[in-house]
Amino acid sequence: MSMAAKGIGTLKFLLTCWKLNLASAMEYRLSFFMLAGMMFINNFMWLFFWSLFFGRFQVVNGWDLSDVMMLWAVGAGGFGWANMLFGNFNRIAPIVSGGQLDVYLSQPKPVLLHVLASRMSLTAVGDFMFGLVIYGWVGDHSLRGALLFTAGLIISGVLIMAVTIIGGCLSFYVGNSEGIANQVFNSFLALSTYPSDIFRGFAKALLFSIIPAGFISYLPIGLMRDFDAIFVLEAVAVTLGFLGIGIFFFHRGLRKYSSGNAIALRG
Amino acid sequence: MTMVALQTHALSKIFTVKQKRAGLTGSIRSLIKPQWEEKIAVKGIDLTVQRGEMVAFLGPNGAGKSTTIKMLTGILHPSSGEAQVLGLTPWRERAKLAYRIGAVFGQKSQLWYHLPPIDTFDLISRIYELDRSEYAARRNDLIERFELGPYLNIPVRKLSLGERMRCEIAVSFLHRPQLLFLDEPTIGLDVVVKQRIRELIREVNKEEGTTVFLTSHDAGDVEELCSRAVVIHHGGILLDAPVDRLKREVLSRKIISLTLASGFDPTMLPSQVGTEVLKVEGRRVKIAVDLQQTDIEAVLGSLIGRFRLEDVTVEDPPMEEIITHIYGSGGG
Repeated sequence: MSMAAKGIGTLKFLLTCWKLNLASAMEYRLSFFMLAGMMFINNFMWLFFWSLFFGRFQVVNGWDLSDVMMLWAVGAGGFGWANMLFGNFNRIAPIVSGGQLDVYLSQPKPVLLHVLASRMSLTAVGDFMFGLVIYGWVGDHSLRGALLFTAGLIISGVLIMAVTIIGGCLSFYVGNSEGIANQVFNSFLALSTYPSDIFRGFAKALLFSIIPAGFISYLPIGLMRDFDAIFVLEAVAVTLGFLGIGIFFFHRGLRKYSSGNAIALRG
Repeated sequence: MTMVALQTHALSKIFTVKQKRAGLTGSIRSLIKPQWEEKIAVKGIDLTVQRGEMVAFLGPNGAGKSTTIKMLTGILHPSSGEAQVLGLTPWRERAKLAYRIGAVFGQKSQLWYHLPPIDTFDLISRIYELDRSEYAARRNDLIERFELGPYLNIPVRKLSLGERMRCEIAVSFLHRPQLLFLDEPTIGLDVVVKQRIRELIREVNKEEGTTVFLTSHDAGDVEELCSRAVVIHHGGILLDAPVDRLKREVLSRKIISLTLASGFDPTMLPSQVGTEVLKVEGRRVKIAVDLQQTDIEAVLGSLIGRFRLEDVTVEDPPMEEIITHIYGSGGG
């Protein structure tokens, strides 16, 4: 089979997966709208606190309220689409330690992709919508602005996914790493929602290296407000690098996968 | 094309299991100084299965059946040994192999839980990249053959276990696998559904030449479905024989369980050769029948003539008893 045919086949498979996820979510419509709506409101609460803060200090290290709002837009929006389309990315640890990879491994599609695309998070719809609403409110609505915001969403979503997958893959090596994986996920998400310029020295170095949350939290400035080609290139390289590491760890981990006898159901 | 469907040589799997003593102290001790123990799940299995064969892979719980099947489908990497399935090494060429085999794990569903089975059919057709018109024809054939019409649009969560298993097996046939692995397909099902599922598997094997490799701890699956049985115990092969021989030598006993309408009077039991009372508990009685000395019909006939019965079931002896019997007679 040629690469192009393979790619088209995988795309059709992904589209069917997403269609089924959505249909599955719609089975419980009330729950769907409540969860999505609650997450939307939850994100607004955070912005409300930031607005109180900026009511006292107009500018903090070059950041004003609209930058922080765009940071939330790009962070929540990126997390939102990743969790909508690849909703199992923060459940790798329990899936591995619970021996639930068997069905994915017995089928021919790429295992990690198949696992990731097999779930849609309902709350994530609220996150994604929140990101779009904030962009509509304070973002740059020119074509360039829209493209840069889209690029920001892609970078933040893929980077959040990649770091979380790496945390989840620990399960192949240390047994149930659900707790550690959750810690990695939550800390990374929290760190990516604070303006990167409030950190200094070692903390800042960490945010732009092994905990690459800085490449998300600087997006409103380095990508969208004052386009910095070097930062953007670094952000793309780091995102692809972490994604590559995540995929590598996952596939190496499969050799150590020990399955299990837990009863597993899909969807 | 080679006639061998699968072949293994000294296939082994060892799991490293953490040992933990009971209670909180045990947990703390295990945290500071963990103790690991090697558990041999599969011990050097040599096996060859020809194309079109229906092989039952039997053994009690924990014998290594599922681990073997998981290595043969590429889910687990073995600790040592070799295997070729349809000419491919499962754990190295997993994706390539997956297009040509099917797998049903009784305890791991591939059906979308909240959606009707028809949606899973659609997804599976995309996973195996089936041509649309070919898919529609095959799906309709399977729906008819497995009589899935009434359940097709009901969410899987609302189906009974038997209905779900029929859907599971039908879905696994969608891409016309050359080799089908069935891991405990009849687990937890009632006698009627078990029987129907066995018939359907037999039908597809006959019509499409699908090789079937079935693990079970239900002796009935062997008798009714397979021509050959491989019994494993403690990770190694204990017996590899035609089912006819197994029936003659090992499955020669049946257990009759009776619930009587009134109390049990042992003097009323027929003094029939080849019968043995195993257990009496109030109005419940278990009798073993040796089929080499008498037949079930005769024993049932004389029981019905002597007692008023509320319920009666005829079962195969449990797998543990079969294993003990094989051990006693010196293996295969």
